[in-house]
Amino acid sequence: MMTHFPIAILGGLGDALASVGQNNPVLNALLLLLSIGVPLILAISLAVSGSLPDKFVKGVAAAGFLIPGLISLWLAGVYMNAFPFGGYAFEVIADLGLLERLGIQLHLGLNGISLPFFVMAGLVGMAAGFYAIQSGVERLRLYLILLLVMQAGLMGVFSSIDVLFFYFFHEFALIPTFIMIALWGRAGRKAVAIEVTIYLTFGAMITLAGLIALYLYSGVEQFSMIALKEAIITDCNQGTIFGLLLIGFGVLVSLFPFHTWAPRAYATAPAPAAMLHAGVLKKFGLYGLIQLAYPILPHGVEQWAPLLLWLALGNLLLIGFVTIAQRDLKLMLGNASVMHMGYAFLGLYAYSTIGIGAAIMMLFAHGLSVALLFLLADVVEKRGGTADLQDLGGMGTKAPVLMGLFTAAMLASIGLPGFANFWGELGIFVSLYASETPWVLYLALLGIVISAIYGLRAVACVFFGEASEEITGGDIKASEKWPALLLLISLFIIGIWPKLVSDPVNQSVNQTFADKVPSISVTVGEPSSSE
Amino acid sequence: MDLGTVLSVILLAPLVAAGLIWIFARQRAVLAMTLSLGAAGVILLCSLWLFYGKWDGTAFETSMEWLALGSLRLDVGFLLNDLSALMLFVVAFVGFWIHLFSVGYMNDDNARGRFFGGLSIFMFSMLGIVLADNLFMMFIFWELVGFSSYMLIGHYLTDEAAQASKKAFIVNRVGDFGFLIGIIITYWTFGTVNLTELREVVEANPSAVSTMMGLLLFCGVVGKSAQMPLHVWLPDAMAGPTPISALIHAATMVAAGVYFLGRSFFLFTEDALVVVAWVGVVTAVCAAIWAFGQRDIKKILAYSTLSQLGYMVAGFGLGSLYGLHHHGDAHTALYYGIGASMFHLTTHAFFKALLFLGSGSVIHACHHEQDIFKMGGLWKKMPITTVTFAIGVIAIAGIPWLAAGFYSKDSILYVAKVTNAPAFYLLAGTALLTAMYMGRLFVIAFMGAPKSEEAEHAHESPWTIYLPLIVLAVFSIGIFYENLLLFPSTLKELMGNWVPKPHGAEHTLMLVISGVASLVGLGLAFFVYGAGAKTDKVEQKLPPVYAMSKSLFYFDEIYGYYVKKVQDRLADIVGFLDTLLISGLMVRGAAAIAGLLGIAARRMHTGSVATYVWWFFVGLVLFGAYAGGFLDGIIR
Repeated sequence: MMTHFPIAILGGLGDALASVGQNNPVLNALLLLLSIGVPLILAISLAVSGSLPDKFVKGVAAAGFLIPGLISLWLAGVYMNAFPFGGYAFEVIADLGLLERLGIQLHLGLNGISLPFFVMAGLVGMAAGFYAIQSGVERLRLYLILLLVMQAGLMGVFSSIDVLFFYFFHEFALIPTFIMIALWGRAGRKAVAIEVTIYLTFGAMITLAGLIALYLYSGVEQFSMIALKEAIITDCNQGTIFGLLLIGFGVLVSLFPFHTWAPRAYATAPAPAAMLHAGVLKKFGLYGLIQLAYPILPHGVEQWAPLLLWLALGNLLLIGFVTIAQRDLKLMLGNASVMHMGYAFLGLYAYSTIGIGAAIMMLFAHGLSVALLFLLADVVEKRGGTADLQDLGGMGTKAPVLMGLFTAAMLASIGLPGFANFWGELGIFVSLYASETPWVLYLALLGIVISAIYGLRAVACVFFGEASEEITGGDIKASEKWPALLLLISLFIIGIWPKLVSDPVNQSVNQTFADKVPSISVTVGEPSSSE
Repeated sequence: MDLGTVLSVILLAPLVAAGLIWIFARQRAVLAMTLSLGAAGVILLCSLWLFYGKWDGTAFETSMEWLALGSLRLDVGFLLNDLSALMLFVVAFVGFWIHLFSVGYMNDDNARGRFFGGLSIFMFSMLGIVLADNLFMMFIFWELVGFSSYMLIGHYLTDEAAQASKKAFIVNRVGDFGFLIGIIITYWTFGTVNLTELREVVEANPSAVSTMMGLLLFCGVVGKSAQMPLHVWLPDAMAGPTPISALIHAATMVAAGVYFLGRSFFLFTEDALVVVAWVGVVTAVCAAIWAFGQRDIKKILAYSTLSQLGYMVAGFGLGSLYGLHHHGDAHTALYYGIGASMFHLTTHAFFKALLFLGSGSVIHACHHEQDIFKMGGLWKKMPITTVTFAIGVIAIAGIPWLAAGFYSKDSILYVAKVTNAPAFYLLAGTALLTAMYMGRLFVIAFMGAPKSEEAEHAHESPWTIYLPLIVLAVFSIGIFYENLLLFPSTLKELMGNWVPKPHGAEHTLMLVISGVASLVGLGLAFFVYGAGAKTDKVEQKLPPVYAMSKSLFYFDEIYGYYVKKVQDRLADIVGFLDTLLISGLMVRGAAAIAGLLGIAARRMHTGSVATYVWWFFVGLVLFGAYAGGFLDGIIR
């Protein structure tokens, strides 16, 4: 029997959520729409209204981040209790008139695969939003407007069933990133902004080409994820379409060797933008592969698997070494984030319900932890006046709380059990040994040593030893601490009780892939795969 | 309360304490100490309740699902049997007294909240290893003890602590690399990682176990129990506070590897056991040699710990071989390996914790002076510490009947003698070296006259420090192990029946060997070094011998060379190529296109970003209008 700890412990709450979910489809569907609509409408209102007192602007922005965040948590609670079968819930279809004839609808809904990404967007949005509100940057209002637009886009990306809107929301969230790098980034922002814009637009266009090809060759009248799963596409076309999607999505998710935009963009971007992009928006690519390309194009998957393996190992090992060589804390985090995408790709490479489910768990955890690290690295940079690891040092005695949070975040991101990241990585490792090439496990596991080397080096450089200079501003402030705690506690809860994420993921992945991936069975006494 | 609940209380009490300390007591040292000590007390009381009545000694297992992904199912559960009960007793008992000691020892530290929080996290993680009923859960807590160890080694936040803590964690991860591969291969080979199920499956089909599997699992042991060649982190770990060295780096965590061997003994083939035994023997010998080159009291004890861990690992390997070859019953043959290694683990936990805490008492009294050549004459100033330390030295030296170490080391020497003559000679020689370097430490630091200001003004420590010393000293006295007088009956099964013991003439021979090794070793120490010596006599008279011992056989140099000249250089090269080839060639090419696009864009726009933002919003509003009737369209 399924138990929904800790919801079950709270008595009837689980049942209450279940009945709310089943009896009020309109309410929940409306909430899903509002999670996109509220930040968008608030952004537009802030943009068109005249001069407003600062406090009011901050309050409005706070509501714009809080509401989608709470909605995402509420819907997650309802979904887990009311929809135990892994299908889509909370579906909404808005009438769009003309576009309808092209098979395009604003069709929203969540299944167990999109739910973790949706919740991640809500959580990271709240943390990034609150951090931004109190950051005291110049032109705060424009800053918040752009973040709210991003937030709306992010909530839309992961709740869209219609493929065109899925793509559209991504672009919608991407554009503010470029602007924020160009306006508020640190030194060298103009060049980085241009590079990122061109690079990602290029990736997005390849993706779009792949999506259109998918639509044309599917023979399905609707451009929806549900309808497309019924599509029958010839092997040859599958290969081409999958290739386009793999490269297009791959660029967006910094697949080796299309990764060079990422570290510099994240290091240069203002922290909230880096949090939202590295944490959430970047996952668009892998989400797209899992939700669209893998279920619809199994033959394409097979054709591209050997190449994908080497590229994923490139992410993991080569970029792992690049990360060790970094001297700047934020560049190091950017590279580490690229490195970790290698794990997720390896999970997809394993192509089993274990591997894909674990990849989703890993992406969820990575989103929270990388956002947390960029937030804390920003605090470190503000306190120490630099992000150069050689010049930092000795902050531990002066900022013990910051040290505790940063160390916990870093250990979470290098896969320490007790935090969410561990489960995803473990599942991926387990799945690799059952893949066609069990030896990959040996190479992939080198990642746990590599990440320990750079992670602990960063902690040692920043917090241990003699203080090189006085730190400005003392220990971490409450306004910086609470967004960080929100993320850290979420990571911890999933670390202790992974079923909160793994159950819905597992149901949907099984439903989507059970008949497609090769089944794994263990005959006791005989190794299931060659050694 | 059922057994499962009691075990849950034992496991979760320290976690709750750590959580409360983190939230409420970061700045309140007394509250932090109370919470941490309270949790240790709860653990000890619940364990004693289990052993004196609650638990009847039969294996108890309970588990629930923790994670399910596809065909992977992961459980969290407890397995209480005679082996885990003994380990639980050691951890709970030694842990409690070290907590009490810490209260006195850390009284002038200004980050006690962090220290006691860390101590409780460690207890939680260690108990998780002890109680875990499957390999994945064990791995999880295995990593968590590594984390607690990392955190506590780094407690003082100095550069030395930074290097030492980093090294400990990374070296352990190297071991865990092999360990996790081993677990995953086990999982896919047998379809389960539950210890009870695994054992049934393996016994039904012994040929499915491969040597490779056992050796990969053994990698984890090599890391955690600091066996060669991954031993380098343990001496450096002495940078942490002394109670941490006693609890984590002597009595419990480093012994977790040995415990793991006992837990998964059925996964080791005979070839694997031979390798295990030799790794243990080599570690035991080398570490004993290195101990002679040290001047720092904690470093000497650290190398002694390495050496004793080598004994335990060798005891597991040789004891299992002894069972296989000389006691034909297939079902229980390997129990002898568990008996030999776990018995030594138990006595070692008591006497090594005693020795470390004794050194802590000395360091505390001498205002953090750790060089034994600057101590001397402590027996007059600190009588209780000196007497208890002497009991510890006797215990580790293994004087017949007097020493706890005599009984446990004796059984390891015996199985070595029966199964493997070269290993026996090396281990017996190590026993002599052990008595000698411990004697060296004692005669230089405690006897003679004070050699420094600090030693001159040393005085006996408060009761929180000497009470744990007395208790642990009682448990280090050999005579209590003759009939296991101090232990509850539920624990006597393992230590009574499965510890290999010589009989008749063999018995007499072993007695003579142990007696000679320990007494000659101690005697040599006294005559070579002399009471309260100011300088190392071997360093003066036989410089090459001292230099060889001090060189540590160049392991650190080799690893240092690898890190600097291979790993870091490779990282720099890959980083450079990444910048040059991928970023440079590929993206510079794109940048050319970017430039062209930029020119076009400038024609169309004013160049101001704000204008661009406004255009963006105009587009949005138009889109919204187009999508009109937004909310009416809800169909489902």
